[in-house]
Amino acid sequence: MTWTDEELVAKSIRGDADSFNELVLRWERPIYALAYRTIGREEDARDVCQETFLRAFRALPGFRGQAKFSSWLYRIALNLCRDWIRRERRAPVVQPPEDVDLIELAAAAEPSESIEDLVARKDLMRLVEHAMALLPEEQRTAIVLKEYHGLTFQEIAELVGCPLSTVKTRLYQGLIVLRRELSKNRRATR
Amino acid sequence: MTELSCGYGDDRDEAIVAFLYDDAEGSPADQARFETHLQTCARCRADVAALRGVRAQLARWSPPEPSFAVRTPQSAIRNPPWWRDIPAWAQVAAALLFLGVSAGVANLDVRYDHNGLSIRTGWSTRPGGSGEAGGAGRSGATKVAQDQQASGGGTAPWRADLAALERQLKTEFRASQASAMTAPAQTVRAVSATDADVIRRVRALVEDSEKRQQRELALRIAGLLRDVNAQRQADLVKIDRTLGVVQNSVGIEVMKNRQQLNQMDLLYRASQKQ
Repeated sequence: MTWTDEELVAKSIRGDADSFNELVLRWERPIYALAYRTIGREEDARDVCQETFLRAFRALPGFRGQAKFSSWLYRIALNLCRDWIRRERRAPVVQPPEDVDLIELAAAAEPSESIEDLVARKDLMRLVEHAMALLPEEQRTAIVLKEYHGLTFQEIAELVGCPLSTVKTRLYQGLIVLRRELSKNRRATR
Repeated sequence: MTELSCGYGDDRDEAIVAFLYDDAEGSPADQARFETHLQTCARCRADVAALRGVRAQLARWSPPEPSFAVRTPQSAIRNPPWWRDIPAWAQVAAALLFLGVSAGVANLDVRYDHNGLSIRTGWSTRPGGSGEAGGAGRSGATKVAQDQQASGGGTAPWRADLAALERQLKTEFRASQASAMTAPAQTVRAVSATDADVIRRVRALVEDSEKRQQRELALRIAGLLRDVNAQRQADLVKIDRTLGVVQNSVGIEVMKNRQQLNQMDLLYRASQKQ
């Protein structure tokens, strides 16, 4: 039987440790992905992910279900990311491109993907990562939440605490910057 | 390039985003209005198309696969010791190994006879107990030699040194006893000389033992380094060999391609002549 998040939360509050483990298994990857795309460092993203669940566990008795559990988790993770960015006093890090490792590349290849396609995909990922790192934090957060986590505009507005129209404007402005940067970088790599 | 104008209004950005993400929350009237506008506005169509392209590119960006599983908060809070993850049989084996090594290092001697349970540690020789056949009548050197045999023979040279020292001490002790009978005035001098001698010899033994341990440690470290270097060399050779194979196969492919090109070139020239 598949329990909903809210049911698992209720069971966790009653002391069922397995229910919270189930929530962790369900949400660890999205939270890690959110952290990684926001701060750009794998190791720190892992720490943020770990800390998010730790804080959630500690604060669980106070969770009254006023928001979805996932939104609540996202809020904790975003706050931690914001703290990280402020602490580090810098924009998200773009990890420097390393020399192409053919063994690693071959291992990452999809079964139907040629090595040329794979290299192109990796290049594109690097370009996107680089372009995303140039965005102001608010625009980047809006794009990450909408594009990769499928949150509604309303949910994003509640999460980041701004009007719905502001969320849309941030998205538009962010996309325009990305469009410019991506076309610029693609021209440079040709 | 001519900048196309658009007269949609102030909320144009929001309308484009809502259209782009197929916003189900927005008002249907607003959506219909923008869709109608889109049919007549080339600039908005171009923007929508370009931003769809950006979204397609964004979709290709995936974070690196996390090489971890989140440690569940319960485990983080309770902080169970790391050895909980080790199977019980391995823990028992490790404990036995530890006890064995400790007993070896401490020269542990546990015996249970009619005198009861006795446990001895340290480097002192065993007293000649009645439970040990003929032990009482034997000299310390014989007992040490027995110990040596029991513990695997001459692997511990200090045992022979200790036996020699014990032998010498006994001889000197007997000699000093004999001289005490004949010359009581010289007794104090002789005893003090013997003490100084014993201390000097013990010091020498301890120093010798320390030097030997240092030598052994240095030898072990050197051996370890040699092993690591050998493994490294072997790995490098393997890598070289693999690279050579790859290069060979690439070279063969290149040669084949060249041959094919030459053949095609010949065919082409032949057809030109005809």
